[in-house]
Amino acid sequence: MRSISWLPYKVDKMTKHLETDNTWEIGGKRLSSRLLIGSALYPSPANMEDAIKISGSQIVTVSLRRQAAGDNSGNAFWDIIKSLGIEVLPNTAGSHSAKEAITTAQMAREVFGTNWVKLEVIGDQYNLQPDPFETVKAAEVLIKEGFEVFPYTTDDLVVAKRLADLGCKIIMPWGSMIGSGKGLMNPDNLIAIRKQFPDLKLVVDAGIGKPSHATQAMELGYDAVLLNSAIALAQDPVKMADAFRVAVEAGRLGYEAGVMKEREFASPSTPTVGTPFWHQFKE
Amino acid sequence: MIKVSVNGEVKELENDLNVSEMIEALEYKVKGFAVAVNTTFVPIAKYSETIIKEGDEIDILAPVQGG
Repeated sequence: MRSISWLPYKVDKMTKHLETDNTWEIGGKRLSSRLLIGSALYPSPANMEDAIKISGSQIVTVSLRRQAAGDNSGNAFWDIIKSLGIEVLPNTAGSHSAKEAITTAQMAREVFGTNWVKLEVIGDQYNLQPDPFETVKAAEVLIKEGFEVFPYTTDDLVVAKRLADLGCKIIMPWGSMIGSGKGLMNPDNLIAIRKQFPDLKLVVDAGIGKPSHATQAMELGYDAVLLNSAIALAQDPVKMADAFRVAVEAGRLGYEAGVMKEREFASPSTPTVGTPFWHQFKE
Repeated sequence: MIKVSVNGEVKELENDLNVSEMIEALEYKVKGFAVAVNTTFVPIAKYSETIIKEGDEIDILAPVQGG
């Protein structure tokens, strides 16, 4: 490790990484990873475990469902998640009303032992678009009951405002439809939310399909990304989890480093002074 | 006997069972579950005082994978 006096960090020649404080805070926890990962759709439980580990993620989403009375399969899954020693973020997936979401959140708090909840109220079966009215209604009740609400919403600025007004410290706008892998449909809307709420923790949730989408979200200044299908449905989920780990890091570093301003015209990067083969007397 | 719906299936139970007794009667083995009666959460502390009635809709949920 060598130190350069005018740099605010140390340059490690071996790893090529800058030594900076890359921790951040969400929901009262200080974390280093900005990748939130889902636990569904993997080819096998072992594959899920490996993918979560290699992703470096410190928050994994889980859910609650009906299970057959004599069925013990739920335990094996939950045992793996517990053994990872990372934060769990229970969701209210499948809820179609504020009432259903509130009840699911209350049940999840008892089962998972956390006041965190990914609030998800679906308003349309075709595109699984969040219902903003029911989401806001549920968020109001859950905040009063002491939950740390992670609301999944669209990229609508006014809905984000309503959620922030209620006291949500975290907002999770969609990139695009759940499971679509289409990436960020409306980056301008996401930028508007980021600019309006510089102090909220913003997480792009849903629609991310490939690592570059995650990088793009991080470059916009989002604090984190949450994804599931993009890793679990890859041909090699474990390798894809590794890809997303570095993609999220790259995007964050890019944001912190400050992206150059776009220009309308070309501008050469190689110095024009001293350009060879040009001679005045030829004119 | 009363008829109730447990996780969407009709079941017959003895009269006046509380939630703990209902779980036992159903031989529910999945560990780490939570209960709702008629879409209202019933915390563990209220199992003994919550009596199951005819026509109740009961949901017993346990951890699964989620996104």
